[in-house]
Amino acid sequence: MPPQLRQLFRFQESGLLLVILVLGVLLTAFAGTVRTPKFERTADGARQRVFTTDSGGNRNPAFEEKNKFLNSQNLAQLAKDTSFIAIMAVGMAIVIISGGIDLSVGSTYALASVLGAMVLHHFGPEGTALAPLAACALGVLVCLATGALCGLANGSLIVALGVHPFIITLGSMAILRGIAFVATKGQSIGGFPADLREFVRFEMGNGLSVVPLLVMVLVTALGWIYLSRLAAGRRVYAIGGNEQAARFSGIRVGRVKLGVYVLAGLAAGVSAVLSLGYYGAATSGDGQGYELNVIAAAVVGGCSLTGGRGSALGVVLGALIIQMIASGIVILGIDQNYSQIIIGAVVIAAVVLDNVNTWLAKRRLTRA
Amino acid sequence: MSYIEFQSVTKRFPGVLALDGVSFAIPRGTCHALIGENGAGKSTLGKILAGVYTADAGEIRLDGKPIAPANPLAARQLGIAMVHQELAFCPNMSVAENLCLGDLPLRAAGFVDRPALRARAREMLASIHADIDPDALIGTLSTGKEQLVQIAAAVGTGAQVIVMDEPSSSLSAGETRELFTLVRKLKARGLTLIYVSHRMSELFELCDNITVLRDGRHVATEAIAATTPARVVSQMIGRELRAQTPAHLSRPAGPERLRLEALGSPGKFSDITLSVRAGEIVGLAGLVGAGRSETVQAAFGLDPAATGRVLVNDRAIAPRSIESALAARIGLLPEDRKRQGLVLGLNCRENTALASLPVLSRFGWVRRGAERTLADRYQKRLRVKAPSLETIVGGLSGGNQQKIALAKWLARDCDVLLIDEPTRGVDVGAKAEIYALLDELACEGKALLIVSSELPELLGLCTRILVLRNGCLAGEVPRSDFSEDSLMRLMAGVEFAAA
Repeated sequence: MPPQLRQLFRFQESGLLLVILVLGVLLTAFAGTVRTPKFERTADGARQRVFTTDSGGNRNPAFEEKNKFLNSQNLAQLAKDTSFIAIMAVGMAIVIISGGIDLSVGSTYALASVLGAMVLHHFGPEGTALAPLAACALGVLVCLATGALCGLANGSLIVALGVHPFIITLGSMAILRGIAFVATKGQSIGGFPADLREFVRFEMGNGLSVVPLLVMVLVTALGWIYLSRLAAGRRVYAIGGNEQAARFSGIRVGRVKLGVYVLAGLAAGVSAVLSLGYYGAATSGDGQGYELNVIAAAVVGGCSLTGGRGSALGVVLGALIIQMIASGIVILGIDQNYSQIIIGAVVIAAVVLDNVNTWLAKRRLTRA
Repeated sequence: MSYIEFQSVTKRFPGVLALDGVSFAIPRGTCHALIGENGAGKSTLGKILAGVYTADAGEIRLDGKPIAPANPLAARQLGIAMVHQELAFCPNMSVAENLCLGDLPLRAAGFVDRPALRARAREMLASIHADIDPDALIGTLSTGKEQLVQIAAAVGTGAQVIVMDEPSSSLSAGETRELFTLVRKLKARGLTLIYVSHRMSELFELCDNITVLRDGRHVATEAIAATTPARVVSQMIGRELRAQTPAHLSRPAGPERLRLEALGSPGKFSDITLSVRAGEIVGLAGLVGAGRSETVQAAFGLDPAATGRVLVNDRAIAPRSIESALAARIGLLPEDRKRQGLVLGLNCRENTALASLPVLSRFGWVRRGAERTLADRYQKRLRVKAPSLETIVGGLSGGNQQKIALAKWLARDCDVLLIDEPTRGVDVGAKAEIYALLDELACEGKALLIVSSELPELLGLCTRILVLRNGCLAGEVPRSDFSEDSLMRLMAGVEFAAA
């Protein structure tokens, strides 16, 4: 094997890239094609259908054959869906690397969305007059602050009570969603200033929303810097790897743990901002079951639930794999209701594979 | 003739060869001693026989038939049981439930037959004359009683061979007596016992034959009557104890670095006052439970209930705070390096830098160049044998791991080093290197306080030795008066002197 190739394989995330490539090829091969109406852009930028005129002088709408998976619309959709999950998964990865877990991520996302939506609605077109830009900024701020505060609450309880994070966040998962429901009385909240929606939905090319994608790249980069370049990240790995040894090395374990949950909450807040902009409305039922997808992304991306292992890039690739599977279920015409079963199975398979890998590595060490 | 036979048994762990072609035989109905230094492989061999580990190569024969128990249950079915040092039961279940856990007496429809359960447990306990209430929860029993329950479980399930791993290590003198009586009774019933220990006096009192292991190799198997403790010690060590005087003794000690004033912690130790000067190596000796590790941990700020004062360079530091201990440049090499000293999943560089992160980072960014230089310097200085700085610490041998754990504090440039068991689980070669290094550090003017269970280690290395007994300072021995005998007397107290 040439050294460059070997270098590539030593790259930690190469396995995930390979899985993504294989999934992509398989989906393209088995997706089949679909006939869709053909559109073109007019001079003033609007979309209009294309017509052909046949020999008889009749104008017929033109159609084109597209691969169901490999077409720009589907890929743009996939990128957007991945962004929402991946941003939260980076926060989750940091928590999992520290040896914890945050089950309340979906509820944090819902509460942040709903409170942000209430602010945006209040200062929206039908509410109190405020400069649209200021209204948007306020809404975004409330969203992010809500996320961070939910994380702070989780972290404080975990550190102060010394209870396992699974229990605390299981409780806060219900509590936060309950608060969101009570606050909205179960109603959907919309009517935001148009600017936010226009900004988040800004499209390039054929329907690709670049803003969620760029935010995802930014969050991933920040997560990577935090985990692999900052002293704080090193402390997270140390605590996840061996909490007692970290304490014996003078690391303030409680403080680091607190920070980790705040970051996870903040990441959920960032996702909530994007969803408000993208969908233009929020209800307390948003983000139901996100904890499965987000934890799945982190685990598939190589985070060990025992702590001390994982990376930001791996987790984003994990999120992409999960979304490709979810999208594949739609494309291949499998009943939607099976998607949870399949994603659940993928998580378990990923953990089993990881265990096998660890076992192999251990055996290699022993033989050496 | 021989009942159990080991033939070139070999076992490898990551980074260390635990057993290297060990062969010897044990006759039926005898008590066989297995002795060796820490890391010699005695526990590993016992665990292979009991199915906890499986051998990588070699053969074990039981009554002439080759066996290879893949797990403890398989060993049980062959009639081999092990009595562990650590908790082997469910602490929240009763004695009776634990005793019958593998084979609960059932009524129809899967209900547990409680009266039958209790009766069977009582019978098992009576067969070894143990006076224990079958309804008591395991978690409420003393270690000695729990061990008796383990033995009852072994005997009750028809075990013919019982492996005992350091059975007396956490027993009181009275409980040890009871244990000995029981072992003799079991032997009289024809059971074969393998007694893993490093307590010479017990082995000579209790066992028929003795096998000495050293660094995973078989050294000798002899009848107890045909050997002497001195002979066994030299077999264990593999050389005569060299009386090489450490270099730091020839230098005058410097100013006082560390002083503990009336340091105490309720229920652990009390009123510890001691001082260590620059260039001194002070030993802290005592039996298990005397409060040695607890004392050094409290000096490092790890004990939230500590009272008294800790002074470094004549300045009092805030008690119960690791941060202030670190700021005053104290380092602690803890007793259990796997649980307390190292993050096994991180590499050598990261572990070396772990305590120095505030020094190595600017605005929260780790300066990677500086980190690498620092780790590289100490890896070279301590002669750590690892492929690179990026090698995961979990794969290194015990000696190299210990060096990395020590490097963490040297990298932090500590003036005062508290060292708990400097060579536990470290092979002989690395031991000598660590001793030389500690001597070198003292010569450089660092103040060292060393806790150790191995008296020869303290006798060889220290300027003076302080003895703890039941959480109190029992005395101080200057180097001119060093002898194992005088130390043991102080450690064990009057009871031992009278015996």
